[in-house]
Amino acid sequence: MATASPSVFLLMVNGQVESAQFPEYDDLYCKYCFVYGQDWAPTAGLEEGISQITSKSQDVRQALVWNFPIDVTFKSTNPYGWPQIVLSVYGPDVFGNDVVRGYGAVHVPFSPGRHKRTIPMFVPESTSKLQKFTSWFMGRRPEYTDPKVVAQGEGREAQPG
Amino acid sequence: MAEVHVIGQIMGASGFSESSLFCKWGIHTGAAWKLLSGVREGQTQVDTPQIGDMAYWSHPIDLHFATKGLQGWPRLHFQVWSQDSFGRCQLAGYGFCHVPSSPGTHQLACPTWRPLGSWREQLARAFVGGGPQLLHGDTIYSGADRYRLHTAAGGTVHLEIGLLLRNFDRYGVEC
Repeated sequence: MATASPSVFLLMVNGQVESAQFPEYDDLYCKYCFVYGQDWAPTAGLEEGISQITSKSQDVRQALVWNFPIDVTFKSTNPYGWPQIVLSVYGPDVFGNDVVRGYGAVHVPFSPGRHKRTIPMFVPESTSKLQKFTSWFMGRRPEYTDPKVVAQGEGREAQPG
Repeated sequence: MAEVHVIGQIMGASGFSESSLFCKWGIHTGAAWKLLSGVREGQTQVDTPQIGDMAYWSHPIDLHFATKGLQGWPRLHFQVWSQDSFGRCQLAGYGFCHVPSSPGTHQLACPTWRPLGSWREQLARAFVGGGPQLLHGDTIYSGADRYRLHTAAGGTVHLEIGLLLRNFDRYGVEC
């Protein structure tokens, strides 16, 4: 059986983190990063970013708008490990500390063209009630040490969300 | 060898009567299929919806198969469980769906069912929890012994699956 020589292909991602809807929270900023397999590498652009802090608009929409650019190009030889964009949203709590308001991840679309994705966000939750109270009081919510965990399939059963 | 990439997410579940849900998923293929990269099964986190009634998992699936034949086209199967505040788990539904066969992105909604049991078992499930479960997981995706079961409907599992096919035209398959 003849083996085909690996051919390199490029994936160019241009877009923006447009806006968010968080009915309960305000003054939020977001961070994005990409998670990809071993056969992938970024060749141009930035694979991480932190946005500005945005407040809800005063009108009916209550929109939180970032309009934060994403501009990155990957090269790869294998579709396995297709990049995922991981978003983490942070905001202040009652006491003024910066706490995480949501994590989410989605695969970069596979077909060329214009795509719009809405990503549901989730927050890790402590399992004991005492810990929930102390973390609310002290402003130290459960947080992932590395947000890239959100993009992985293994080890999720231990996390209540 | 023809290759198939299944890349996507188990987005979440809706329509279940319980709220804190998690899902155990797996993929079943025929004998001619070989998994080159990726994990064949997994379990999502437990999600409790704060807004609305849909539990979101966003659990990534990334599988790379090589195959010599079309028989045994991959099927994803799910077991949705609910977890209560004491940490006990109860079955909410079983379901399966075939992986699509045309390349591109697909939105899939997989309905689920759960075995009912006798009236005693149903009463016990309402008060104490628990309830009958399948002994052999392959009944979820095979039709062989289904006639023995009496089941009730559960909610729906939502998936977004992207499919990439490679070298199928060499084997005379148009896609």
